Amino acid sequence: MTRLWWAQIKAVVRLELKKTFVAKRGLWIYAVAALPVLLFIAYAVAMSNEQHKTVKLARDSQKPLSYQDLLAIKSGMARNEVLAILGKPPVNFHWSGRRPTGPGADEEVFREDYQYSDGQNDLYISLADGKVESAHIREGYNLGQDAFMFAGVFQFFFLRLAVFFGCLGIFMNLFRGEVLDKSLHFYFLAPIRREVLMAGKFLAGLLATCTIFVTSEVLQTLAFLWHFNPHMRDVYLFHNHGLEHAAIYVGVTMLACLGYGAFFLGAGMLFRNPIIPTAAVLFWEWFNPFLPALLKQFSVIYYLKSLCPVEIPLPPGMPGLFALLFSNADPISAPLAILGIIVVAGIVLAVSGAQVRRMEINYTSE
Amino acid sequence: MNDRIIFEDVSKFYGEILGVNRVNLSIPPGVTSLVGPNGSGKTTLMNLMTGLVRPSRGRIQVLGYTTDDPENLFRVVGYCTQFDAFPKGLTGFQFIYSYLCLSGMPLADAERTARQAIERVNMVEAASRKVAGYSKGMRQRIRLAQALAHNPKVIVLDEPLNGLDPLARAEMIALFRTSAAQGSYVIISSHILHEVDAISDQVILLSNGYVVAEGQIQSVRKEIQEHPTQILIRCDRPRELAAKLFEAESTIEASIHKDGQGLLLKTRDADRFYLAMNQLALNGIHIESIAPADDDVLSVYEYLIGNEEVIR
Repeated sequence: MTRLWWAQIKAVVRLELKKTFVAKRGLWIYAVAALPVLLFIAYAVAMSNEQHKTVKLARDSQKPLSYQDLLAIKSGMARNEVLAILGKPPVNFHWSGRRPTGPGADEEVFREDYQYSDGQNDLYISLADGKVESAHIREGYNLGQDAFMFAGVFQFFFLRLAVFFGCLGIFMNLFRGEVLDKSLHFYFLAPIRREVLMAGKFLAGLLATCTIFVTSEVLQTLAFLWHFNPHMRDVYLFHNHGLEHAAIYVGVTMLACLGYGAFFLGAGMLFRNPIIPTAAVLFWEWFNPFLPALLKQFSVIYYLKSLCPVEIPLPPGMPGLFALLFSNADPISAPLAILGIIVVAGIVLAVSGAQVRRMEINYTSE
Repeated sequence: MNDRIIFEDVSKFYGEILGVNRVNLSIPPGVTSLVGPNGSGKTTLMNLMTGLVRPSRGRIQVLGYTTDDPENLFRVVGYCTQFDAFPKGLTGFQFIYSYLCLSGMPLADAERTARQAIERVNMVEAASRKVAGYSKGMRQRIRLAQALAHNPKVIVLDEPLNGLDPLARAEMIALFRTSAAQGSYVIISSHILHEVDAISDQVILLSNGYVVAEGQIQSVRKEIQEHPTQILIRCDRPRELAAKLFEAESTIEASIHKDGQGLLLKTRDADRFYLAMNQLALNGIHIESIAPADDDVLSVYEYLIGNEEVIR
């Protein structure tokens, strides 16, 4: 019997995958999955351009500079002191302007801007009449900051919006879409248990969403790493948990597809109008941090947050209530989180299995 | 009773709308036609039989299988529905092949069986084209091929001849008759009464969700007491014959056929009438044939339901 069910599941998966990957109504899912990739590509291009300018600036300097050299420049220093430490600036601008000296009085001032670089960080110096007025260092690429940015995009855009709505688009349509197309009877007239049919459809949805979103996640990681030089990339991947984090992000993406997929498969069978369950689940997931501990366990994001490898630091000045969205107040261990998602998905699928047995074909009432 | 299709006190309500009510049936092998006007419950009865809808009350068994057991039910049942929608992007061949694969059939067997089914409905040339590009008749034929592909014992066909040209209709009718002759249960719904008459072994007449009559058409006709039986006698001297027949009490009305070569009689007791005919001394009147004139589906339908929405 198990062999028969497996053959039937494979037949359902073959049919569904063909429909899911080329469905016109699902094209927006590719766009949603591609959005963070494009964001990281754009970021990488911008950072590469900046790096290129920085390297050129360092190359054009009179002498090689270190970060300590850049830090040595302070306000009030004379031009000669600056030139003695850093040499002739590779980029400089100068112009004459006026500076107010009292009520209704001003004086002419000779202004200069110098730019230096150590090859990674840029120093911007403003001088007025030969004295340093301000010195500002713009840090070059910073792995730590970039890792936080990646984690932020992953948690707040990719997981909660892209994967969420992608799963909505694919899983909700597995049954609901067929009812709207008036073609569900094709499956219901085949000698296949409804639960086996549901398992096949769920597996097809899971394969499709995992393929789309794991590919997106891998491409995001590649785009994220693109602007690092090979040495930095090696340090990040092999000595700074980069590879481990990438693998965890892929795993979390797959678990998100499993959890949200189960929810939306069930919702597609229980509700005619997808807006109501979508809004309810979206609300439930976003406001999960404010829920009592017991209720938190009935959401997908609760477990996913506990699995995310990078805790996002609180933006300065954020009110305490909103800070809950960023922090994970009571994280659980990874094995429990994985088990939790599987259990939640299992419960939802069991309810859906009971529902699919009762489903009737009544297209006229749709 | 594992050799019948059984409905036991089955009712189906769609909210407050009645689908069928208190249906009790025991359908034997052969061609059984469901006859009734639109909304009489024909499709509901077929959907109930195949588990597409669930009864609000009562119990249904198809050759011993319950309708909530599709895994076993559809190994013996094939259903050609009226739903004119197909899974997207499939060719005619893929439509049948996918259906057979869903049943768990090995891929090579599924391919061979699908090709055979397509041949049976003469769709070989169009099999590699997308179903979306088919004409109505071609879609109907490919649906028939799907219903028949796995050689089911019970073939349920909802308006199966819709959209087919006369040649294809004749081929399909022959196919249904052959299946019935081989012991299959062929359940057909149709508006076209002369076709029903030609192919049915028994009929189920439906009106407003109720079964108003069921069985072999002649038996059903006998049950309708309020309408006298009509008998057509072809003979050379109808006036003389009419006079003689009025001597027998069973004849209540007689009229000369418009070609002058026959007599249309009405009797409330056909058995007594035939007995009387045997006893009559006919005085050399040459009788060519004696045949019932109103024991066909059309007449029974008109007597029981009226002549609404029927194509003769």
